[in-house]
Amino acid sequence: MSTLLEVRNLKTHFHTRDGVVKAVDGVNFNLEPGKTLAVVGESGSGKSVTALSIMRLIPKTTGVIGTDSDILFKGESVLGMDDAGVRSIRGNRIAMIFQDPMTSLNPVYRVGRQIGESLILHKGLKKKEADERAVELLDMVGIPHAGERAKDYPHQFSGGMRQRAMIAMALACDPDILIADEPTTALDVTIQAQILELMIELQERTGTAIIMITHDLGVVADMANEVMVMYAGKQIEYGTAEDVFYRPLHPYTWGLLESLPRHDVSEKGILLPITGQPPSLINVPSGCAFHPRCPYAKDVCRTQVPQLTSIEDGHSSACLFSGDPGFRRETASPSREVV
Amino acid sequence: MSDRDDLRHDAHNPHTHDESPVDNGELRDAAGHSIKDQSRSLPIPPTDDIIADGGRTLWGDAWYRLRKNKLAIAGLVWVIFVILVTLTADLWVKPYFGDPLAMDTTLGANLQPPSADHIMGTDKLGRDVFARVVYGARISLTVGVIAVAISVAIGLIMGALSGYFGGFLDTLIMRGADVFLAFPYVLFAIALIAVLGPSYRNVFIAIGILGWPSIARVFRSSILSVKENEYIDAAKAMGAGHLRMIFRHIMPNAVAPIIVYGTMSIGGAIITEAALSFLGMGVQPPTPSWGLMLSDARPLMVRAPWLMLWPGFAILTTVLAFVLMGDGLRDALDVKMKD
Amino acid sequence: MLKYLIRRVLQMIPVFLGVTMLLFILRAPGVLPGDPVRMITGERAISDTLRAQIVEEYGLDRPLPEQYVLYLGNLAKGDLGDSFQKSRPVVDILADKFPNTVKLALAAIVIEVIIGISAGIISAVKQYSLADVLTTLSTSILVAIPVFWLGMMLQLFFGILLKRWTGDTIYLPISGMTSNRFPDWAHMILPAITLASVSTAYVARIMRSQMLEALGQDYIRTAEAKGLSRRAVIWRHAMKNAMIPVVTFIGIDLGAMMAGAILTETIFNWPGVGYEIFVAIGQRDWPVVMGGVIFIVFAVMIVNLLVDLSYAVLDPRIRYGGAAE
Repeated sequence: MSTLLEVRNLKTHFHTRDGVVKAVDGVNFNLEPGKTLAVVGESGSGKSVTALSIMRLIPKTTGVIGTDSDILFKGESVLGMDDAGVRSIRGNRIAMIFQDPMTSLNPVYRVGRQIGESLILHKGLKKKEADERAVELLDMVGIPHAGERAKDYPHQFSGGMRQRAMIAMALACDPDILIADEPTTALDVTIQAQILELMIELQERTGTAIIMITHDLGVVADMANEVMVMYAGKQIEYGTAEDVFYRPLHPYTWGLLESLPRHDVSEKGILLPITGQPPSLINVPSGCAFHPRCPYAKDVCRTQVPQLTSIEDGHSSACLFSGDPGFRRETASPSREVV
Repeated sequence: MSDRDDLRHDAHNPHTHDESPVDNGELRDAAGHSIKDQSRSLPIPPTDDIIADGGRTLWGDAWYRLRKNKLAIAGLVWVIFVILVTLTADLWVKPYFGDPLAMDTTLGANLQPPSADHIMGTDKLGRDVFARVVYGARISLTVGVIAVAISVAIGLIMGALSGYFGGFLDTLIMRGADVFLAFPYVLFAIALIAVLGPSYRNVFIAIGILGWPSIARVFRSSILSVKENEYIDAAKAMGAGHLRMIFRHIMPNAVAPIIVYGTMSIGGAIITEAALSFLGMGVQPPTPSWGLMLSDARPLMVRAPWLMLWPGFAILTTVLAFVLMGDGLRDALDVKMKD
Repeated sequence: MLKYLIRRVLQMIPVFLGVTMLLFILRAPGVLPGDPVRMITGERAISDTLRAQIVEEYGLDRPLPEQYVLYLGNLAKGDLGDSFQKSRPVVDILADKFPNTVKLALAAIVIEVIIGISAGIISAVKQYSLADVLTTLSTSILVAIPVFWLGMMLQLFFGILLKRWTGDTIYLPISGMTSNRFPDWAHMILPAITLASVSTAYVARIMRSQMLEALGQDYIRTAEAKGLSRRAVIWRHAMKNAMIPVVTFIGIDLGAMMAGAILTETIFNWPGVGYEIFVAIGQRDWPVVMGGVIFIVFAVMIVNLLVDLSYAVLDPRIRYGGAAE
């Protein structure tokens, strides 16, 4: 099983008049076929920019990807491709869906046509064939009366239906990778669960690898094989979902897990948000970027930049103290009683 | 239980689709996307670049922004210059340049090209063109200002009645506004002047009457938006009467868009006056009006082309100045005018 | 969609009536200073018997509401009175000349659409480039130029100066609709450009800002993520959205164009409705002036209605109502 996607030392910086925004500053990961990687972090952690970098959707006017960065899709360098090459991958081999389905569909074209567009473009289908296939896809994502619905316009769809349509659009050409950038954030809670169920089901059926970008750890728990936590453009923890959830190594991850409201806690627990503000990506704090907000920060954290180090098998953390076996927290213990 | 189910169980939390608890004060655009994570448009640096500085009032703030807008300042300077020139015209034009009404019938004295004696030449009756241009400015500015003043006066009253009392009165007035707006500008003025008789005075009545709907609409929407505000309820609770309400509480807010609109309207009024005079429906000879001068210059286009240059430039620069000022004011006062 | 259409037509009716009422008030006796009889006969002195006759014939001594109804009735019949200078019904004179105005307006619209939209798209797609800066600059100035002065300048340059400089060989016609030297269509060039100028500036600006806004929308990102080329994204996805407000504007602007037609036709001696009005002003032939105004106003209102209706075709959100489920 060859690695589907290899991201090596990805650095994406934006040159603005106020300075260089280091949106992504050294990210490494691999993605295997059929697996799901969750990329977790706050707004501004660089998770979306990472995804857009993979698709090379970074605007060329201000965005620069580092020359020593590389992204390999099935062994071929995406960063080295010419424009035509990249476009033949987009929507075809790697597809992306976005956060807000309300605005992500073009209001003046019918839904079926928008779904069929990539089929016509990449698979050379004729319009009629594309229309038929679009109906099949709408059916596959669980939209009733798909035949009539394909002729509707986006504003006639509800939010959840639109996101389903987006998924149909993304999966039209049977891509190897689906990147989902906060696909459920803009939806109602009940719809969120439905969409996630749908994605899991489709993945089982088609074997598509998924990169799931989210700030919602609940989503991660449902779907991810591996989890990558980002902060201020850097990876600060990486491991299997179980590792990161039950044996988190980085104080930031502890903060994330602890600040979740728990529906299985009977007494009134106190929600502990992480204090402070997310850091500026132009003036990144010195040393460990998290140190201003970290309750465990020591002097050395201000000066030394921690590297992502493997602590256990397949589980790494970018904290200077993670190597110390005493520096641990048990957050979600499996023995906890369920109420 | 599988690990996955444990994870789902322990970490799954019923999020709303708002930001996760770790997000605080992050820059987001209207669709909820983190601005940092977006690479579509030019990225805004994540730190707030609007420094709260104590004590800046709305007007102080606006003045600051206005000052930075060079075009608007240029416009303002030109307008002030023109105003000064016309106010002081009696002092320096007649003695040094010529009398706008003084005809010179000696042979060859008319239709002189620009020279030392007459820096803009003479017209067909031997009158000094420069003097006529300057005095023409007086006419244009007077008409512009008075006409707009009339529009604003009517518009304020109508807008106030409409917005404050609402209901049938509102509908009636707004329908009336629609009727006036259905008239192409110049046509109504022509019709009105046809009835009243062409004269200087009737020009600004005609232009003034036409202009009220826009002002009324703008004022009305200011009132409507303010009406909803709580501090109005508070004032009401204190027993403030209708009039007091309008003047004390509503006016200050509504003033900004009216200033912007009024300024821009002056430019339009000047052009309309010129057009009407050009057609013979406005100022009557021998009073110098730029429009009249242009109309006189027409048959002489071949023999004395300079005659049409000066008044035309005068109109262009003055109107442009008002338009730029209006633009600048709108940006400075941050007025969004939707009507 | 049918609901939308019916709603718009119904909305027009009160406005229609309001307009007629306003026009009626203008010439109704006693409302405004001025002699309504003069409006019918002109400035010359008339005998008392003639005056009485006119009062009788036009019902000028009847109660106002009755006069209004009479007036409406006349309008419906297409009776706008008679030109006393030419002793012909006003409406005949205008109907004669109207096609010429329409020709000119159509030519102007074609120019406006082609140049305005292209300039707008180019300056949006190549933001901050030389093309963009030039466009922004020229549109700002064009908005402030008096249309009639622009026309005169064009005449001066292309008609007179150019003729002089090229020894009578290369120049453009600046007067009338036909001549011996030039084919008919050549006569339309300068007037159409003049008439279109201010509108073109507005169209370019609106198109630019609409394209910029469309290009910043999320669905553009989606289209790019599907692998569409830049060109396909601009032409297929952004443009159709950006066009909607532009088309709206072009329709609304028709009204301003009609007003501008008076000035343009005057300058270029183009025999259309506007020119007739101008001539009538000079002759104090008030029935023609008023009739001309009424004529144009109604033409504009009908065009606005048609534009409103066509809007429904362009924007599927109007055609198909709201969200389902």
